[in-house]
Amino acid sequence: MVKALGWLAAASVAAGLVMALGVAPREVTQGNVQRIMYVHVPLILASYLAFVVLAVASLVYLVRRDEAADRVAHASGEVGVMFVGLGIATGSIWGKPTWGTWWTWDARLTSVAILFVMYLGYLLLRGTIEDRERAARYCAVLGIVAALDIPLVHFSVYWWRTLHQPPSLMKPGGFTGSSSILWPLLVNLIAFVLLYAYFVARRVRLLRAEAEAVA
Amino acid sequence: MPDNWGFVAAAYGLTAVALLIYWRRLAKKEREMEVFKRLTAPRP
Repeated sequence: MVKALGWLAAASVAAGLVMALGVAPREVTQGNVQRIMYVHVPLILASYLAFVVLAVASLVYLVRRDEAADRVAHASGEVGVMFVGLGIATGSIWGKPTWGTWWTWDARLTSVAILFVMYLGYLLLRGTIEDRERAARYCAVLGIVAALDIPLVHFSVYWWRTLHQPPSLMKPGGFTGSSSILWPLLVNLIAFVLLYAYFVARRVRLLRAEAEAVA
Repeated sequence: MPDNWGFVAAAYGLTAVALLIYWRRLAKKEREMEVFKRLTAPRP
């Protein structure tokens, strides 16, 4: 099952690459550098998904004390931190030629940096507390509280004046651009969601094996 | 505006390398777990 998911994710990533670098048209104002969007946006949206899954799994853990839910939260947090870190890095690489700077402390970039640091703290907290039950409990609370930053990140471009453009996909009225841009973006979004699911499934399996080995 | 293919390559390359490193790390941990299981399994 996990292996099949892996192959599906790999095929989707390959299709996404072809769509992003071959099929999608050259953007009129930014030129080919706009193709970074096809990896940057899916990474950020998949990281939102990861942190929502983490928050829901954390809530389930706090209510039922179900270790399987804690393992899902742990795995989702790990993959989410990697995705949001890559989202920030690819955004920074995109920002240099288009904005003229690698980084600026505007509302979107600052709120997403806070999101990254909070979930990095979440992973560090897991690593520093030896008592597994206590670590799971503390991390569940942090995971739920940190998720409150997700709407702040997403809506920051509406609430404050920012250099960052408004959302491409998740916005009122839906996507307004050309379908030749929408389809490559959707294929890449599906690819990164599948990749997220594959990594989480593998990490959960590993965490379960580690827990069984310790017991 | 110039195409800046170097920035595109950097963004895609960095993502590919990071994902590959994470994938390899998972595979390495799984192999270590297999070895641990074999070593600690009860002998017949």
